[in-house]
Amino acid sequence: MSKAKFLSAVALVAATLPAAGFADTSDKRIALSNNYAGNSWRQAMLESWAKIGDQAVSDGVIAAADAFTTSENQATEQAAQIQNMILQGYDAIVINAASPTALNGAIAEACGAGITVVSFDGIVTEPCAWRIAVDFKEMGRQQVEYLAERIEDGGNLLEIRGLAGVFVDDEIHAGIAQGVEENDKFTIAGEVNGDWAQDVAQKAVAGILPSLPEIVGVVTQGGDGYGAAQAIKAAGRDTPIIVLGNRKDEMQWWAEQRDANGYETMSLSIAPGVSTLALWVAQQILDGAEVPKDLTVPFLTVTQDTLDEALESTPDGSVANVEYSLDDAKAVIAEAQ
Amino acid sequence: MTIWKAPWFWSWAAGALAFAATLLLTDGRNGGDLLSAALTFASFSAIVGIGQMFVITLGPGNVDLSIPASMTLAGTLSLKFMGGDAALIVPGLMVALGVGFGAGVFNYLLIRLLRIPPIIATLSASFIFQSIAIWSNRGLRIKPPQSLSDFTTGATLGVPNLALVALVLAVIAWVILDRSIFGRWLSAFGQNERAARLSGVPIEGVRALTYIGCATLAGLTGFLLASFSGGAALNMGTEYLLVSIAVVVIGGSSIAGGNSNVPGIWGGALFMFLIVSMLNSYGLGAGVRLIVTGGIIIGIVAAASKKGARA
Repeated sequence: MSKAKFLSAVALVAATLPAAGFADTSDKRIALSNNYAGNSWRQAMLESWAKIGDQAVSDGVIAAADAFTTSENQATEQAAQIQNMILQGYDAIVINAASPTALNGAIAEACGAGITVVSFDGIVTEPCAWRIAVDFKEMGRQQVEYLAERIEDGGNLLEIRGLAGVFVDDEIHAGIAQGVEENDKFTIAGEVNGDWAQDVAQKAVAGILPSLPEIVGVVTQGGDGYGAAQAIKAAGRDTPIIVLGNRKDEMQWWAEQRDANGYETMSLSIAPGVSTLALWVAQQILDGAEVPKDLTVPFLTVTQDTLDEALESTPDGSVANVEYSLDDAKAVIAEAQ
Repeated sequence: MTIWKAPWFWSWAAGALAFAATLLLTDGRNGGDLLSAALTFASFSAIVGIGQMFVITLGPGNVDLSIPASMTLAGTLSLKFMGGDAALIVPGLMVALGVGFGAGVFNYLLIRLLRIPPIIATLSASFIFQSIAIWSNRGLRIKPPQSLSDFTTGATLGVPNLALVALVLAVIAWVILDRSIFGRWLSAFGQNERAARLSGVPIEGVRALTYIGCATLAGLTGFLLASFSGGAALNMGTEYLLVSIAVVVIGGSSIAGGNSNVPGIWGGALFMFLIVSMLNSYGLGAGVRLIVTGGIIIGIVAAASKKGARA
């Protein structure tokens, strides 16, 4: 899918309106089971769900799109939540899971009760559920690819990882490692855990910088680029090319650098609006459409050319977002077939 | 008393070793940068650590688990209140301190009126604080006023401003703990609550002030951290729960209460930053890093508790 298409989110929302003609799912109720709400990405994810879900309900496409979030980010708690949803008689459960395996029992129960289960972002391994997965490995690889294009002579990279022990961190890291293997002009000179938080990344980078040689690029996992930039600035070093993760403060910083000295970089992440993609996929399955069990979420990439556009459409302090339409969902399904 | 018998000695020694080991890698270059970064980031841990230390001094079962949520709530509300306006920095600081104060009062009332054990009370309070923070701003990062941001990231005479703030607070805490009647009451409370009450210590007053003070310091830290890192985030306090307890323990204060010291907080805070920097610099993976950090902490605590008993 083209970048222009992603960024014309508002226009795409309008495109969902013709879908109101579907009558087959108008009495179907869809629930969102969400395991965590404690960061801006998840907040934007819930807002997108509410916006598109309410619209779909008022258009009569579906009967309900209710969102539920567990308080403790615990698999046991989410399993109980799913069991409640089964009792409440939802027709489909869309789930961002706390664990890829620990919910399988509850999900098998839901499937057994004839409920359609669609997992996204935090996907589950239970075979009866659909999976809308992010290709995190590719996300890591593309960063190194981009740096390879930009920096002819190669050099030392600093890698900022996420939360140790989490699947996403391992995947992005593997992608970056693969990228470095393909482009052997780069060496990973240092590696820190930024836990996807600007303040943690800032702290970790400030601690490792004194022992590092010159750094030409920083590869990140999202939510950590601005903190890295602050730490590098505080140490009085030249700013390397920092690959960013679509956060507003990162993009603002990028625009400031661009205006001051022509700084160029790129930014990529998953749009929180992926929850709406999952919503439409669930609707399609309920509608009887033939949907493969494994789907892939496209990245949302911001480039030098689309930076201003992305900045404008992203609320202060949030993350670049698109809401998906029914047509987008159909396109993703068609691509997987 | 010889210096290595002081309970805080081992945290400082370990911090110095980690510092030296890191510089070994750089052939002694950039020592100033590392020290300045260590002082800056240790400040946050030191301020929340001081608050936690007072609470832990109260004795078994006393710990404030709402520190991260109080930090997040204070940071979020105060930055939202200032909205980037430099004229509102002082009122903004008051908002942060007020939020912390309120959180402390709430914690204390749960403990006192509902007779809930402190661990449960502060943990459940933290859900409430975190939810208010989410509800109030939906996780949006609002930038601090430029002059405040410059202050928190700046330095005076080569010493980071944040470190100066934390140092002043540490001196005040030391005076309160070691030189005031309140400090005596606090230690008496922690050593034997019943004996303290019978000898006329106003124990409920001591407990109330301790929890309120701890939460107020957490509020201040949230304000400073949010200003330093360019905005409040919903997960900004997460790592300070363990850190606040770790610096108390590493610093040689008794986890059973009744016996605390302030220099150890700074030693522990510097150590916690320097050990991670050292292990990162040597390129060790996260798994090894956690194991080594854990092992070293156990070592320091063991060494400190042996020497501390005689001190």
